[in-house]
Amino acid sequence: MNAKWHRHHRLRYRRTLLIMAAVLLLAGTLAAGGYFAGVSWPALADALIRTTYRLAASYLLALALGVALALLVGWSPVADYLFPVFDILQNIPSFALIPLFIYFFGATDEMIILFAVSSIIWPILFAVLTAIRGAHVDLSDAATVYGARGWRRVPYYLAPLSYPAILTGSVVGIAIGWEAVIGAEIIVAAIGATTGFGAFIAEAGASGLNAATIAGTLSILLLVFVVNRLVWAPLLAESSYRYGE
Amino acid sequence: MANNAEPALILSRVCARFADEREAGAYVLRDISLAVERGSFVSVAGPSGAGKSTLMRVVLGLMRPASGHIVRRYERAAMVFQNYALFPWLSALENAAYGLKMAGVGKREREAIARENLAEVGLAHLESRYPIALSGGQRQRVGLARALAVNPDLLVMDEPFSNLDTITAEALKADLVKIWRQYGMTILMINHLIPDAVELSDQVVVMAAKPGRIKEVIDIDLVRPRDPRSPHFFREVDRLTEAIRAVSQ
Repeated sequence: MNAKWHRHHRLRYRRTLLIMAAVLLLAGTLAAGGYFAGVSWPALADALIRTTYRLAASYLLALALGVALALLVGWSPVADYLFPVFDILQNIPSFALIPLFIYFFGATDEMIILFAVSSIIWPILFAVLTAIRGAHVDLSDAATVYGARGWRRVPYYLAPLSYPAILTGSVVGIAIGWEAVIGAEIIVAAIGATTGFGAFIAEAGASGLNAATIAGTLSILLLVFVVNRLVWAPLLAESSYRYGE
Repeated sequence: MANNAEPALILSRVCARFADEREAGAYVLRDISLAVERGSFVSVAGPSGAGKSTLMRVVLGLMRPASGHIVRRYERAAMVFQNYALFPWLSALENAAYGLKMAGVGKREREAIARENLAEVGLAHLESRYPIALSGGQRQRVGLARALAVNPDLLVMDEPFSNLDTITAEALKADLVKIWRQYGMTILMINHLIPDAVELSDQVVVMAAKPGRIKEVIDIDLVRPRDPRSPHFFREVDRLTEAIRAVSQ
């Protein structure tokens, strides 16, 4: 079972590498042919850095809030009542809330970050809640019998128990977060002035500079791929091994 | 093997109900009255649904009884679980030291104690391994070391051998008897295996199902160490088999 699982993942990893290599080859060929000649690379780099910063800030806030809320709710007897409330809230299409965010926070950096938090928080919250409430009763009993009671239950039982769920919730949350940040940047760019990748491609699209849009998309694809391979994949592999059965 | 007749635990007309909606109103335990002598080895046997695990949870305070009284005359309880219930994020040593850590014992001291207990159950060489890298028998030994580390005077065991192969279970059983003699703690163990219950126990509590209740308490008066091939042993096994058969019908 384990060998099969590892073989399957090795194969998938190789396929992903092959696809990325093909994408890079295509990008290299286009660059060599002068397709990206009109692209402002410093502007693209600046846009990517600003978007990544906003995403990182949103993710850290959503992580802190989502995990704290899940630990608080998952532990309490009112969890059964709050679960459906969260379920309804997470089903609200996040972009439907953007006028409210703009109304309260203006077309600002903070608005984009807080709007992204409202999207990223749900997968983290639900993953952690599900992990806490789905834990085997024996494990919970063991923690209680051996003294993880009161506030000590959080750092010595609930938090480590939730670690794999935090990872998977983060991976999903960050994927949603890219969309939220870039989408918000595009919307804000349309009503005022902002920076970031969304603004960059909005401007490129408006001025018909498709090469800039493609260069931006390829850059973000590479960035996401590298972060996934270097950060998330090793963490997920380690946790699925240690916590797996 | 009981050191004296003073009870470590007294249950008086204890009833328990599931909080679950489907089972609401149905008693999972009804009028359980039982006195467990200090230092004795008591097994609890009975069919599925007799509330054996619930009884253990009620004894340890993990589940609140609907009515009745429990007098706990022990200082520290520990539990060994059927599914081991080791914390996957901790190594064997950290698992064994968990109860001591929660009790505020310093790192060096708790690790020294946990190391001793791991050595006692034959796992000194595997202290840095995580549960995933241990076999079922090794995991159960870590579970036993975790329990021993807190120096319990009541050890509750929920079918500790049922997930193990025969050879591993036999070895662990022998270690358990040795440890029980050495520490002299009270042991309350759910046990489905009749010969094991006869071999290990001073008393066997036979429970019936729907609702879970005590049908009979059988004293096992065989001298220790017990010979599982002696006629006396077989007679006790027959007696217990009959008692369990009667409540299973």
